[in-house]
Amino acid sequence: MNKGLPSGWHRVRYPLAAALCILTTFGVFPLRELLELANIVMLFLLTVFIAAVWLGRGPAVLAAFLGVALFDFFFVPPHLSFAVADAQYLVTFAVMLAVGLITSHLAALLSERTEQAQAREQETRVLYELARDLGGALTLDQAADITQRFLGSVDMDATVLVADTSGETVAFQEYGGRHLNSLELSFAHSAYERRTIIETDSLAGMGVAIVFLPLNAPSQVRGVLALTPRTDDVGRLRTHRPLLEAAASLVAIIIERLHYADAARHSELEVVAEKLRSSILSSLSHDLRTPLTSLVGLADTLAQMRPPLPDGAIETAGIIRDQAQAIHHLLSNLLDMARLQAGRVKLNKEWQPFEEIVGSSRRLLATLLAGRKLEIDLPRDLPLVCFDAVLLERVVCNLLENAAKYSREGARIQLAACARETHLEVSVCNDGPGFPAERLDQVFELFVRGERETAVAGTGMGLAICEAIIAAHGGTIGAENRPGGACVRFTLPLGTPPAVEEEAPS
Amino acid sequence: MNEPKTRVIVVEDEPQIRRFVCDALRKEGCAAIEAGTARQGLDQAAADKTDLVILDLGLPDMSGIEFIRDLRTWSPVPILILSARSAEQDKIAALDAGADDYLSKPFAVGELLARVRALLRRPWQDGSARPQHQFGEVEVDLSRRIVSRAGVEVHLTQIEYRLLAVMLANNGKVMTHRHLMQEVWGPGHTEQGHYLRIYVGRLRQKLEADPALPQHILTETGVGYRFQT
Repeated sequence: MNKGLPSGWHRVRYPLAAALCILTTFGVFPLRELLELANIVMLFLLTVFIAAVWLGRGPAVLAAFLGVALFDFFFVPPHLSFAVADAQYLVTFAVMLAVGLITSHLAALLSERTEQAQAREQETRVLYELARDLGGALTLDQAADITQRFLGSVDMDATVLVADTSGETVAFQEYGGRHLNSLELSFAHSAYERRTIIETDSLAGMGVAIVFLPLNAPSQVRGVLALTPRTDDVGRLRTHRPLLEAAASLVAIIIERLHYADAARHSELEVVAEKLRSSILSSLSHDLRTPLTSLVGLADTLAQMRPPLPDGAIETAGIIRDQAQAIHHLLSNLLDMARLQAGRVKLNKEWQPFEEIVGSSRRLLATLLAGRKLEIDLPRDLPLVCFDAVLLERVVCNLLENAAKYSREGARIQLAACARETHLEVSVCNDGPGFPAERLDQVFELFVRGERETAVAGTGMGLAICEAIIAAHGGTIGAENRPGGACVRFTLPLGTPPAVEEEAPS
Repeated sequence: MNEPKTRVIVVEDEPQIRRFVCDALRKEGCAAIEAGTARQGLDQAAADKTDLVILDLGLPDMSGIEFIRDLRTWSPVPILILSARSAEQDKIAALDAGADDYLSKPFAVGELLARVRALLRRPWQDGSARPQHQFGEVEVDLSRRIVSRAGVEVHLTQIEYRLLAVMLANNGKVMTHRHLMQEVWGPGHTEQGHYLRIYVGRLRQKLEADPALPQHILTETGVGYRFQT
C-alpha cells in the first residue's frame, strides 16, 4: 500500500538530496578553519545517512557522490578546485564514498523494510475490516456495496457477478459497480469456467474492467469479481494483486454463506407449506367422509327397516346410498390426485408378488366385474416386484373399472402380466368401443375422458391417477386401441429382488 | 329369553354414525351401548361384561391406539376399528396394538354386521379350540399334522404349515404383516416382508382353487392378511 505521501514526492527526492549536500557545504564552510578534515568527512557522511533514511536509496547514492565532490572542491587543499594536493586524500575520498554508499544501502534497506511491514499491516487491517463488514451482510446487494466501497479505496470499481446455474447455460447476475458490456462478460465467463484470474492490461485506462477474479468458494465457483481501475496505472494493480485475490475469496465465502442461508430459509418455508397442505387434505378428507359415512349407513338402515318400507322407498334409499358412495369415490380420487400432484407421496415400497394385488383388486370390484368375462394371464414364475401395494391396487382397480365401464354386459376383460428384461409389463384390455382415436394421446391428462358427455359415470381422473402412480414408481403407461377394444399397458422396473433362502426339507 | 344379550359398546364421536351402527346392532339382537368419548367407552367396558367394542380411530379425547392399549391391559374383548380408507398406517398401528379387525369408512351396514358376527364367534378365544379345520375343499388336522385337499394329502413345508396354523388360529381376524412374521419366523425377522408374501403365495397355490382370486387367504392391501373359512 502507498504510505499516503504526495505523488510528486518521487520527483523532488533527488533535488532534495542535492540541496541537503549543498546546505551541509555552506553550513560547514565558515567553520573550515576550526574543524579537522576528518570531522568534516563525518558531517558529509551524516548527510548521506539522513538522505538514505528520508529519501531512499537513489538520492542517498547521489548524496554520497555529490558529498565527495563538494568535500574535494571546498575543503581539500587547494580550495575551490577539484585538484588534490596530497595523494592521501584520494584514500579519504574512496573511504568516504564507500562508507557513504554502504550506509545509504543499509539505511535505505531498513526504511524499505519498515515501509513493507507497514504496508502489510495496513493490508491485513483493511482485509480484516472487509471481512468484518461482509460478515454482517444479509443480502448480495449489501455484500456488493461493501466490496465496492473497499475497492474504491484502492481506486477501483468492483462489479460482483454471481453465477446462476439454474438454467442450461451459466448466467451472471450483476451486483454493484458498473454494468458490464458483452466483451467484459465473455472475459468473465472464461474466468468462471477456467477458474483462473484473467487480466487484460492492454485495455487499461479505457474505463472497462480489466481484471476478472473467479470467486472460488469451498464447494464451487460462485461467480466472478470484475475490477475496473479508475486510473491507468497498471503497475499499482499488480502490487495490489494479493490483496485483490484475498478480497475475492472473502466475497466468494460470503456469497456461499448467503446462498446456503437462502436455501435453508427456502426449505423451511417448503416444509411449512407442505405441512399446511397435508393438514388441509386430511381434515378435508375427515370432514367430508364423516357425513358420507352417515349417509351410506342411514340409507342402508332405511332399506333394512322392519317392517319393510314400501318398495319405492327402499329403492330410493338404495339410490341415496349409491350416490353417496359415488361422491366418496370422487372425493377419494380428488384427494389422491392432490397428494400425487404435490409430488410428495411417500411410496411405501416393498418386494411382493404382483399376483397379490390382482386378487385383492378383483375382490374389491367383485360386483362390477360379475357381469364381465375376466381372463387373467399371470405366469406362475413372475419375479417379485418392488412397489407400493396400496397405490398399485388403485391402478389395477381403476384400469379394471374402466375396462368394465366401457364394455357391454358379458364382454371379455383380459389382464396379463409378463416379465421383460428390465421391467414387468402389465396390460388390461377389453372388448368394447375403444378410446376415440383422435384423443388417444390425451387420455392420461386430468379431467379428459375418452368420450365426451356419455351416460357412463366418471370424472376423467382415473387414468391421470394411474399415470401419476406409475410415474412415481419409475414406470411408464400408455393407451392403445386394438381390433374390437381398448388396451392400457404399464410397466414397473424389475430391479434385483432380495435373496430368498429356501428352508431345509423337513 | 333369560340368556343375557350380547353387549356391544360403540365408541364414536359422530352421533349420526353412532346412531345407525347401534340401530343395526340392536336389530341383530345385541345390546348396543353408545359412547361419545374414549373415556365413556372405557368406563362402559369396565362396568359390565362386554362382548365387542366398535371403535372409531378419530376420537376427540384420546387416540384410538391409546384406547386399545388401555383396554388391552385388562380385557381380551374383540375390538373392531372404524377408520378412513387412506390411513393404512393408523390401521396397522391399531391392529398391532391389539385390535382384531377394521372397517373402512364409508361402509355398508351388511358388511359391518358380517364383521361383527365373525368377531362374536371368537373361535380363537372361546377355549373350544379344535384340531380339525375345514375350508373349501381343504381339511386340516393339526393334531396329526395332516393337510388334504379334495381328499388328497397336500405336502406343506415346515414354514408353510406353521403359517397355515397361525392363520387358522386367527380365523376371521386381520393379521398384520408384522404380526405374522413374528409368529412364524420369530421376533428377529419382522423386516423381511418378502418372505411372508412368498410363502403366502405358495400356500395359495397349494390350497386355493384359484390362487389369483383367493377365497380364504385374503390380502388386506397395505395392512396384512385375513383368513376366512
